Order: sequence, then C-alpha cells, then structure tokens
Amino acid sequence: MIRIAARWLVSSVALLFAVTALTFVLASLAPGSAARAVLGANTSVTPQQYAQVKRQLGLDKPLPVQYWDWLSHLLHGSLGNDLFSGQPITAALGTRIGASLSLIVATIVVSGVAGVAFGTVSAVRGGLTGRILDALTVFGFALPSFWLGLILIDVLAVQARLFPTTGYAALGSDPGQWLRSIVLPVLTLSAGTTAAIARQTRDSMLQVFGRDFITALRSRGLPLRVIVGKHALRNAAIPVVTTLGVVFIGLLGGTVLVEQVFAIPGLGEAAVTATSSHDLPMIEGIAFYFAILVVIVNLLVDISYSVLNPRVRMAP
Amino acid sequence: MRKIKHVVRTSTVAPVAGMLLASVAACSSASSSPVTQPAASSATGGTLTVAGELGPTTLNPETTNQADCDFEELAYEPLIVRLNDGGLAPGLATSWHYAGSGNTTFVLNLRGGVKFSDGTIMTAQDVVNDFEYVVKAAGQMAPFFAGDSFTVTGPLQVTITAKIPNPDFPFLLTQDYNAGDIISPGGLKDTAALGTKTFGAGPYELDAAETVSGSTYTYTPNPYYYDKPAVHWAKVVIKVMSSAQAILDALKTGEVNLSEGDASTLKAAEQAGLTVTQAPLIWEGVDLADRNGKMVKALASVQVRQALNYDTDRTALVSALFAGVGTPTEQVTVPGGYGYLASLNTVYPYDPAKAKQLLAAAGYPHGFTMSMVTADYDEENLLAQALKQEWAQIGVTVNIIDDANPDAYAQAFASGTVPSFIATYGQQPIPVEGPGLFLPSAIFNPYHTASPALQSLYDQDITASGAAATTLDQKVESYLVDNAWFVPVVASGLPWYATTNITGTAVTATAPLVELYQVEPARS
Repeated sequence: MIRIAARWLVSSVALLFAVTALTFVLASLAPGSAARAVLGANTSVTPQQYAQVKRQLGLDKPLPVQYWDWLSHLLHGSLGNDLFSGQPITAALGTRIGASLSLIVATIVVSGVAGVAFGTVSAVRGGLTGRILDALTVFGFALPSFWLGLILIDVLAVQARLFPTTGYAALGSDPGQWLRSIVLPVLTLSAGTTAAIARQTRDSMLQVFGRDFITALRSRGLPLRVIVGKHALRNAAIPVVTTLGVVFIGLLGGTVLVEQVFAIPGLGEAAVTATSSHDLPMIEGIAFYFAILVVIVNLLVDISYSVLNPRVRMAP
Repeated sequence: MRKIKHVVRTSTVAPVAGMLLASVAACSSASSSPVTQPAASSATGGTLTVAGELGPTTLNPETTNQADCDFEELAYEPLIVRLNDGGLAPGLATSWHYAGSGNTTFVLNLRGGVKFSDGTIMTAQDVVNDFEYVVKAAGQMAPFFAGDSFTVTGPLQVTITAKIPNPDFPFLLTQDYNAGDIISPGGLKDTAALGTKTFGAGPYELDAAETVSGSTYTYTPNPYYYDKPAVHWAKVVIKVMSSAQAILDALKTGEVNLSEGDASTLKAAEQAGLTVTQAPLIWEGVDLADRNGKMVKALASVQVRQALNYDTDRTALVSALFAGVGTPTEQVTVPGGYGYLASLNTVYPYDPAKAKQLLAAAGYPHGFTMSMVTADYDEENLLAQALKQEWAQIGVTVNIIDDANPDAYAQAFASGTVPSFIATYGQQPIPVEGPGLFLPSAIFNPYHTASPALQSLYDQDITASGAAATTLDQKVESYLVDNAWFVPVVASGLPWYATTNITGTAVTATAPLVELYQVEPARS
C-alpha cells in the first residue's frame, strides 16, 4: 500500500512539474510581451523604460531562471501576483474556481446519470430504441458546444425567459440563483459528455451481457432489473468510471469556450484573458490548478476501481 | 468596454497615446452640476448593470489604459468635469486658469472639505503628490506631465509649471483622461493595492468582496462623496462579457441595462426596441508612414500619396464595411472634432483616372509595390483587403501582413519596418494629438517624417487659445490632408444600447461615449 501511495505521489509530482514547465515554455514563446502590455498606450516609451519594466517583472532573466523563481515561490506557498493588477494569483483564482467546479461537477453528475441510463437502456432493449439512442449519442458528439449554447440562450433564456442568458451566482450567496445560472451551461457541456458516457456504458453492458454468469442469472429466473441493477452494471462500471475521469479532465478545457459564451467568471475565462495579455504568473497558476485537479481526479478514479472490483485491491 | 477597449487594444499594442480618446468622453465622473454642500443620499435606482467585452488590466487610474477608465471613473472624481456638451465644470477643482501668457503656468483652486472614500480629507499636497505619481507611474498620461513641476501655492491651490507650453491642461484633468483622478494618500502609500481596490473621492467605491477581477466589478455609493444627489444607484455592476451576441441577449432580457454595441448587432438592437445612440468617435484608414521613401521610394512623392487617396472609393467601402456606424472621411478627425473642416472631405473625390495621372506624373505610370500591416479586428483587415483590390486597378500592389496578434501588429508598425499600416485613431485636441500622430517622435510616425511647416503650425497652436487655436487646428488638419500623410476612409461612431428603463445615455459629437455617472433610472 505504501509502495502504491509512493508511486502515485511521484507520478503526481512529475505531472505537475511537466505541466507547469511546458506551460511556461509555451507561454514564453508566444509573440508579444507582458512588459509591452503593462506599458499599455504610453506613446513615449523609450527602450530604457521598456527594459526597466521587463526588469521589474523579472522578464529579463533567462527562461530557466524565471521558471526556477516561480517554483521557489510555489514551494513557499505563493503562486505570485497578477502582473497587471498586483492581486495574488491564489486570491484571483480563488474567486473563480467555484464557478468552474460548479460547471464541471454538475456536468459530470448530469452526463453520468443520463449517459449510464441511456447506455443501459440501449444495451438492454436494443432494437429501435437502441438505435434511436445510438443516433442521439452521435448527434450529441457532433453538436458544437458554442452553437448549442447560443441556441439554448435564445430559446430558453431570451424567448422563454426561464433562465438567465449569462452570468454566474455563487452557491453560497443564493443556491436558487446558482442553480438557475448553471442550467444552460451544464446542458451545453453535457451534450457531448453524455454521449461519450452512454456509448461506453452500452458497449460495456453488451460485453457483460455476453458473459456466462449473466446467462446463469437469467436461467435462475431473476428479473431483468435485478440482473442489470445488481450485477451487470457493477461489472460494467470500471470502463465507465474511466470515461468519467477522462470526461472530467476534458471538461477543464471544454469550459473555456462555454464560460466565454455564458460570461461565467471561471478559470477558463481567466486563462483566455491571461494568455492574451501574456500574464505568465496567471497562466502558470491556472495550469497548476488544472494539473492539481487532474491529479485528484486520477486518484479518485483509482480508488473507485478498488471499490468496484476487489481484485484491484489485491493486485501488487 | 468593447469599442473603448478596441481602441485601447490598438493603443496597448501600439503603445499609442495617440489612441487616447481625447475629447471623447470615455470616462466620466462627477455630475454635470457639482454642488458645494453635501446633501442626503439620493440613490433612487436599484442596480445599474453595464456590460463590456473586455475588462481592464488594472484599476490604478494612472497606469490603466485611458480607454478602460469606465472601470475606475466611478470611484475617482476628476479635478475638472467635462460636460456632455463639451463644456468644462468644477470637479475637485472649483476654478482654474493659465497665469500669464504662453500656456506654461496653470493654476487650480481646489474644493474644500472633500473626503476620499476612506474618510481622509483631500489637501493641496495630496493633489501635488498625485501629479508626481502620474509621472512616476509612467502610464499613458505621464508624457503630458513629464518635466513639469507641481507646487502647493495656497491652502487649496496647486500650480503646474509646464516644461513646454501645454494649452490642454483643462482637458487633461477631466474624466476623459486619468491624470485628474486624484488618489488618496492611503492609495499612494500602497500603490500595489491600486490595481484591485479604489482610493478615490468619486461617488462610488469598489466593493472588493463582490468583484471578480477581469469579470465582474461591483460599486457601491461612497459615503463621503461631496455631491450625493449625483449618486443615482444603490449599486453599479460592470460585467465583462466577451460575446457581442451574449451582451445583446442580456440586454433583451433586462439582465444588462447598458452596453457598447457594434455594426454586427446594430440592427438587431434596434429591432429589439433598445435605445440606440451613437456619435462619431474615431477615424480609420491607412497611415502612409514611409513618407521619406526609405523602404518604398514612391511614398516620398506627395503625388503618389494623393493618387492613393483619389483611388479610394470611400462611399463604397463605408457602405460595405461600416454600414450604420460610419461616414466617409478624408481627414484625420471626425465631424465636429478638433480641426474638422467640411471642405476637407471633398479634396479627394473617387477618381481612378486622376490617380493614374498623378502616378504617371510622379514617375510611376505602372504603379509600385508596398506592404501594409493590419490588425484583424473591427473590419481593419477587411478594409486592407478592399483597398488592396482598389489600388490594384492603378497598378499599386499591396502585400498585406495580417497580424492576429495585437502586440505583433503594434511592434510591426511602430518599428518602422513596414511602409504603411491600417490605423485607427480617436479624435483629440491637436496639441495632444501631435505627439501621438504626426510629430517626428509620434508612434504613428515611425519613420519620423519631419515637416518644418507642420511643426511651425503645431508650435503656434500649443501657445494659442480661443478662435486662434481653432484656426490653427484646422490649418494642421488641412496640411495633413493636402500632403496626404494618410488615407483616412471612415469616421465611425460607437453605438450604445440601453434598456428603456434608464436615461442619460444620449451622446454628442463632443461627448460620444456614455457617461456612467449621468445614467439615471427613467422616471415613469
């Protein structure tokens, strides 16, 4: 057990290091500079002033040194400050992570429930119902999220006035408003993810249904709902859980566009703004948060394996 | 907000003070009728929600982009208030004047008893400290005050002694620029906090707990504001929404009360019953930068530059690209703007035959080749493509460099390595415009073209006042048009969309941007 934990810890640290280092290099290679953005519209910027701002921001140092400085601050519990506003990155992202997590977790719940339900029905019933559900999942895959978002806004917000067109209300301040504010973005995000989970569930269930123990259970006269609910689903769950993990990680990127469409102040929106203004500490902070979430999700997926299949716990 | 921000983007990328929206009312502050005695709070509205497509990088009034000042104007009162009709009224200063002649000594008499939002009383020394910080912060306004000295000359009096004549101090200290937005001693002591908190004497203050930087900015009334009847709302929220369509949808449902618009949503906004207002704001066209002929010899010829102006079908271009928001223009200002002369819009009627004649006379009967850099927002790249086609008919080949990255675009045109570029510029007083647009040091003059005649007009202009200054403004404008330094194409406005339950969104040629301070609940 200790060996497994140590292995997980080492791989997690390696992942965090790789993600932040790669992000640092890629962000630094982008055209333009934060110093230029900080100087803004000052017409009389001299090369000396430009160099001074670069020095103040630490951008005159070699890239490895800059990264090392960032890592050093991280080890002291600081992600640095926003280059423009001076706000600590942890504070800036702290106000945003709730919105992103709300969208991602709610999408996982909605698409998990709906996807498993659709996939199970499709596998169990087959025939026309199965084909219709299959077609719907393909449709869900094919829908561009930004397009779907705009359609949902127009129909359910502008025309029907059921939900707000944009914006986000914090769960802590007004739960009812929070729920209303995430319905449309979650529906938008869920179209593709539900399809992915439904597809995986269907395939897994069909595999399980082909096994001997299902035939044995059927021959004992157990009702279908008991066979499905108590035996088949549990056996088909591991690939589905893996897919849920992958979907969660995919949503970290997927929310970027949806947060833009619905004007939700989340990490994705901050990532877009920070990238366009070359705010390297902010970009690094967001990459770090995303990487941490990936590590946590992978851990949860691993734990769920052992819960769903005791043999995994026995494995060396 | 979007269009303001767009201008900023050009300037940000271009570090161009020239992009300052000068005489336009990008940021307002203070009421149009300041009172001297505090009165009871009169916030009559609930929440005013305003939307814009881009947020500010900082709330520090001395380092923020001037075009982002909507986000700090509510919290910082200016020394002088620019009214909607273009006139000036007292703000934190009750009166002001130039001492002597030559526009070098400017005296401000301050309002007594003014308190900042942290409760401290404003002193003359605070104003001097703020001016010194303006220069030290090296923001957009710094060049206009660099080298000047600031002195407390009375209990409530400050004198600016300018290094070079500056006839525009009254304008530079209004809400349209940020230098007159006085910061409290507490703010100047902790300048790092200026980016995310407010330390002004304006009608509102930032509610940091309800603000998500870059996304949602919430303001509540400043309990110490000296002119409480000017506080119309219990809360003002500015939301950053990146999609023009999303903003329009939010306006339709009433989630947002006010926003800038653009040509793409103009008709839909009108059809939705929103109040739509707009006035000329910027000119857009080509800066024929290589007027010395360093890279493209032909551009050194005034006949060649005039030929390009003659071969530009402005009416067709505006109809195709700027329908509803722009009018054709041949001058680097907008109708009603500084130096504007209606007659200057008839200098270059569309005439390809005349253009060919001029090219031939200049020794380029078969045309020439040049490159042109453009950004790729707000139809700038489309304008470049259209001009490329038009100019091809007289033999001029344009190689377009379409820079999606705004920094790269700015660097390209400001570095003097591209002979021409698409330029977007806000109208502003000529003395302010010169250092940004046409003087040898201007960023929009990257080849440092020097003209003794133009310099002479400029030097006279900065020491003149009244009608003489107006005449000199027009002479400067005439020089730029006659010598074809630019190929201006369109004078465009910025549409504003408002829901019908608010008022105070009217704009004029001298105040083309809505003043958030003056937006009030509509009376039923």
